Formats: sequence, structure tokens, C-alpha cells
Amino acid sequence: MKRFATICFLMLGVVALATPAFALRISIAPDHGNPASPQMGDRLRFHTAIQNDGHATQEGVLAWISLVETDSGKEQPVDLEDWSAHKAVVSAALLPGQTVETIWPMRLIKAGSYRVVVSAMSRNGETLTASPFVDFTVRQKPVVESSRIVPVALGAPLFIAGLLIWRLRENRARA
Amino acid sequence: MLIEMQAIQVNQGNASILRDVNLSLDKGSIYGLIGPNGAGKTTTIAAALGLMPVSSGLVRVLGKDPWTQSRFVHARTGALPEQSGFYEWMSAEEYLAFFGNLYERPLTRGEIAHCLSQVALTPRPGQRISTFSRGMRQRLGLARALIPEPELIILDEPTNGLDPRGRRELHDILQELAADGIGVLLCTHLLDDVERLCDRIGVLVSGRTVVEGGLTDLLSANGLSQRFLIRLSAEAPPDEPHPHEASILTGNGGWRIVDIAAKAKPEEVWRKFYALGWPLVEIKRENTGLEALYLALTEGGTA
Amino acid sequence: MNAVAIIARKEAGDLLRSPRGLSWLLAMAAALSAFSLLLISDAELSLLDNAEAVYGMCAVIMGLGALLAIVMGVDTVAGEKERGSLVPLLVAPVSRDRILFGKLAGIAMVWAAMYLLALPYLWAAGGAGQNLAEGLVSLALMGTPVVLGFGFLAMGMGARLSSTRSALMVCLVILLLAASPVILGPSLRQTAVGRIFDWINPLSVALNALDAVIIDSQAVVSQWLHWNLTLLFSGITLWFARDGFYRTAL
Repeated sequence: MKRFATICFLMLGVVALATPAFALRISIAPDHGNPASPQMGDRLRFHTAIQNDGHATQEGVLAWISLVETDSGKEQPVDLEDWSAHKAVVSAALLPGQTVETIWPMRLIKAGSYRVVVSAMSRNGETLTASPFVDFTVRQKPVVESSRIVPVALGAPLFIAGLLIWRLRENRARA
Repeated sequence: MLIEMQAIQVNQGNASILRDVNLSLDKGSIYGLIGPNGAGKTTTIAAALGLMPVSSGLVRVLGKDPWTQSRFVHARTGALPEQSGFYEWMSAEEYLAFFGNLYERPLTRGEIAHCLSQVALTPRPGQRISTFSRGMRQRLGLARALIPEPELIILDEPTNGLDPRGRRELHDILQELAADGIGVLLCTHLLDDVERLCDRIGVLVSGRTVVEGGLTDLLSANGLSQRFLIRLSAEAPPDEPHPHEASILTGNGGWRIVDIAAKAKPEEVWRKFYALGWPLVEIKRENTGLEALYLALTEGGTA
Repeated sequence: MNAVAIIARKEAGDLLRSPRGLSWLLAMAAALSAFSLLLISDAELSLLDNAEAVYGMCAVIMGLGALLAIVMGVDTVAGEKERGSLVPLLVAPVSRDRILFGKLAGIAMVWAAMYLLALPYLWAAGGAGQNLAEGLVSLALMGTPVVLGFGFLAMGMGARLSSTRSALMVCLVILLLAASPVILGPSLRQTAVGRIFDWINPLSVALNALDAVIIDSQAVVSQWLHWNLTLLFSGITLWFARDGFYRTAL
């Protein structure tokens, strides 16, 4: 029995040694200069450090930022098209113990509650690594209301065009 | 004297546009100002209208200097420039009302209608000027010129672009105005118009008045007569008696040439022919004595 | 009615009643509409708050007003001369000064029409935000001398150059030059040359005043120096127009 338990333990150890540990570790922190209560139009920055905790070099490391809206009933991923031009970073190789630090700038486009996370993977890895979440809330600010703009923007030229057409018709009738 | 110009000189920069212009126009007279292109006719008119100052000489219009007392002159003068533009978006009525207000003679609808009928202009109600023909625009310009009930009217090439009927109608209007005592200064290339309308002419060449005076006086002083062609329905009376003002030359193809003295009025001469038994069936004006005079005076002076 | 009012009504009627003039107004409205729609559709512009949107709209209105005043100013002397409609005016019993002031008043009436056209746009852009009323007052105070000044400048150019095409080209280049600080951005305005140019450029002077009132919430009366500079510009260009009009050859 003792012999059987020892053999099982040794086999587990071999398996453990053969399976690589989560090699990449990501930490994330908001920049000190970020506004405490950001509103639409403000800019935020997030700092990440991606460290290779494994024994082997991680080849072709790719890290990217994701944003999701977390307002109740409106949960959805956010297209970063207008929010940030800096969506991913690539490192050709990350040696064991080496760290890559990155700053992620972002412009706040829409009011709401959000969660940001940075994910990473390597070419020779087998799993995805994600940073902890950072939550923030963007306040609404009074901006131009489309409900006012659209009627005026369409109505005024249409009105003048109508006047013009009426005038032209009148001229033709009197010609 | 409505217009008096003596030894007028107008310089623009180093160029001398008018060197020695003389012109005199009296009430009820139609004065023809003729000359080749670039002779200075338009500049003379501009000086008479007070639109530019003269460098030397005397200009009096209605007894006043038109440059320094333009308001007085303009209130009593009608003008139809050669290139008379209009406000295309207006109707004829609105246009005349606008100028009536400017001339401090606010026109009622009836007065506007009278102005239009005076020049035989009958647009549709509210018809825009942009749709007017050339002839209609000329008439409208004349109507505008008549708004101030002027003592003097100055016209620059008024029959340009008019058809023969339009020209004849304009002639009739100008003759009526002269008969009412209004002085007419007519600047034109068309010698026919001058012969038909004018009792005085001035010929301008290279900025100088080369001849000025009564038309018939000038023609007879230069030995020129008025030549006509006549056609008869039958044989001429025996011995061919004729008025002393006329001389008959042989013609061909059924036409006879008749020269009438420059001072004689052709209508009276033709009445005398009828009274003497001549069976006149057709009369055509042939040579223009004025044309010969004009060509002789302006030879080499074309711009 | 005096001659100035008669001629002013005619000049304004040329814009407001003729198809050509209505086309110009339509083009102005289309430009304002395009800018308004950009305010809500462009990601960058849609983040502007109401005050910034109103300021931007005022700048566009003033620029369009100056453009319209230039077109009218050139047309009212050089254009009328080319069309042959100036001489009948000059031979009417009205002094040249009255004719000139009638034409100037016509340009002022057109700017008034443009201002009225702009009011709904300004309300739409800034109705929910700050300083809209002050912005409207400032636009009237600052914009009027600037717009009229460009109109006077165009009249003077038209009178001197006697060609609508040449006069229009020159005036449009001057307008572009005046608008260049706005187009090229704030960094160039920080240089010494930029600062000097800011003080002599009537558009910059007016825009700085609008910025102070609408965005920085300063009092309208605090902009008296800027207002005086715009009045100086319109005074100089008025002299330029009058001098040119008196020299107008046939």
C-alpha cells in the first residue's frame, strides 16, 4: 500500500513537472493622474506589467485590452474603435523573469459603467492569461442633443429650397 | 441752351480722351453725335451727365456744371446708356417704382402703366425682366429715362438690337418728345437714324469735334444733296416740269434719280411733283448726303 | 422713404427674392447643417460640451457671413458695373454717398438675414448648456463689424479692380488668410508672429472675444477692447469702400 502511494505521488510529480505552470502574469493599475470621477471626453491611462513567471522563454507574446459595459441590462463588449488607438502590444520574446510594461491610453466616449481587462498569450503557450479587472464609471456630460440638431439641420435647408423652387416656378409662370 | 460744351478736354492719366469737343443743344432739338469707334462719344456723354470731370473747357447742362451740381442736372435729365443693365429679378412695374422713388416721384400704378404705354411696352403682369427681349429692355430703359419728366434726354445707341418696327416706334417717340420741347442728344452709328431724326449734328473724330451745326446747313455748305430714286406708273408729264429744289437725272430699269437740295424737305418736294402731274408710285432714299460727309470727315480717324 | 433705404431694400431684395440670392442662402444653410450634423456624428466633435459647440458654430456663422458679404460686396459694385446697372443709379438724383450707404445697408440686411437663419442652429447646438444668450449677443456685437468690414473691403476692391473675378479672388485670399489661425490650429498662434497676427486679424479678435464669453464665461462688457478693434477694422474698410466708389470709372 505504501509502495502504491509512493508510486502515485511520484507520477503526480512527473506530471506536475511536465505541465508548464501559468507562465505569464499580468498586473494592472490605473494611472495616478486619472480623474477621480471621470466624465465623457476625459482621458484615462492604465499601466500593465506582463511578467514571464515560467522557466522557459515565451515566444511571440501578444497582449490586448478589452472593455465591457457592465450597466445592468446593457452588458456588452465595447468596440474600442473610438476609445483607443492602442489596442494591442506584441513582444517577440519574453525571457524567464522578464517583464514588459505597457501604458494603455483611453478616451471616454460614452457614459456608463465599465470594466477593463488586459489579456495575453504566447505562441508556445497553451492558455490565456488575464489581468485582474479594473472597474470605472463614466459620468454623463451635457453635449449636443441630436434630437434638436436633426430637425434644424434638415428643416432649414428644406425650407429655403422650397422657397427657391416656389420662386423659380413663379418666374416660369410669369415668363 | 440745354447743353453747352466749349473746348472740352478730358484726360485720363497721360491719355487725352477728349481734346476739343464742342456741342450745343437747344430745347425741342434732336442732336446727333456721330463718329467712328473710339472717337470719344461715350466720354462726351459721361461728361455731360456729370459722371466724370473735364480737365478743361466749359460744360453747362441746364445752365449748371453737371459735375459739381449733378443732383440738379440728374433730376431733370433722362439717360439711356448704351449698356443698360437691369435688375433681372424685378418686374417692369417694380423697376419703374424703384426708380420713381429714387427720383422722388413715387409712381402710382396708373402712372406706371402710363410710362409703359408711352414706350409701347406691354409685359404680362409681374413678368420678370429676365425674360424680356432686347427690344423690351430698350423700351424699359427709355421709360426709366422719362420718369423725371425730363427737359433733356441723352441716349447712347438706343436702336441697337431693335427690329425695324422697334426702331420706327422709337423714332416716333423721340420726335414726339422733341415736339414737346424736350432736347434729345442722340449718340449713334446709324446715319439713317440721324438723317431721319436730327436737326443738328456733331461729328467727333479722335476726341475732336470736326464739324458741328444744323444738318441741312452742313449738307448744303458741302455741296451735298439728298438723292432719291423714283418709279412712275406711267410716262412723265411733257417737258418734265419739276420743283426748283429738285434736279432729275436719268436712271435705268424704270427708276429715275432725283437730287433734292439739302435744305429742302423731301415731303414738300414730292407734293409739288404730284401737283405737276408726276405719276409717282414708289420713292426710295438712295444716297445719303450725310454718309458722304461723314466718310469725308472721318477718313483716317477710325479707332 | 429716403434713397439709402430705397437702395438698401433693393439690395436685400436681390438676395432674398431672386433665385440667385436664395441659392446663396441655401448654400449657407447647407454648410450650417453639415457642421451641425458633424457635431452629433463625428466621434471627436460629439464630445464637445454645449459651450464649445456654440463657440464652434459661431465661428462657422461668422466665416460664412464674411464669405457672403464678400460675394455681395463685389457684386454690388463690380458686378453691377459689368451688367450695366450701375450707370442708371449714378445718373439718378442721388449722391454717391447715399448710393454707397444704401449698398452697405443692403449688406447689413443680408447679415441680419444670415443671423436669423443661424438662430435655430445655435439653439439646437447650445440650448441645454451655458452662455447661449451671451453667445448670441457677442455674435451680434463682434460678428457684425467683422462681417460688414469684409463686405466693405469687397466693395472697395470691386470698385478699384472693376472685375468681379479679380476682386473676388483677392478678397477670398484675404479671408483665407484671416481664417488661417483657426484652420492651422492653436500652436502656431503661440509664436510671436502668431500673437501679432491675432491682434490685427479681425476674425481672430472676434473669435477670442467669443471664446472668452461663451467658454470662459466672462462678461460681454469685458470684451470692449476686442469690440473696438473690430469697429476699427470696419471703419478702415468703410473708408476704403467709399474712396474706391468715388473713383469708380465707367
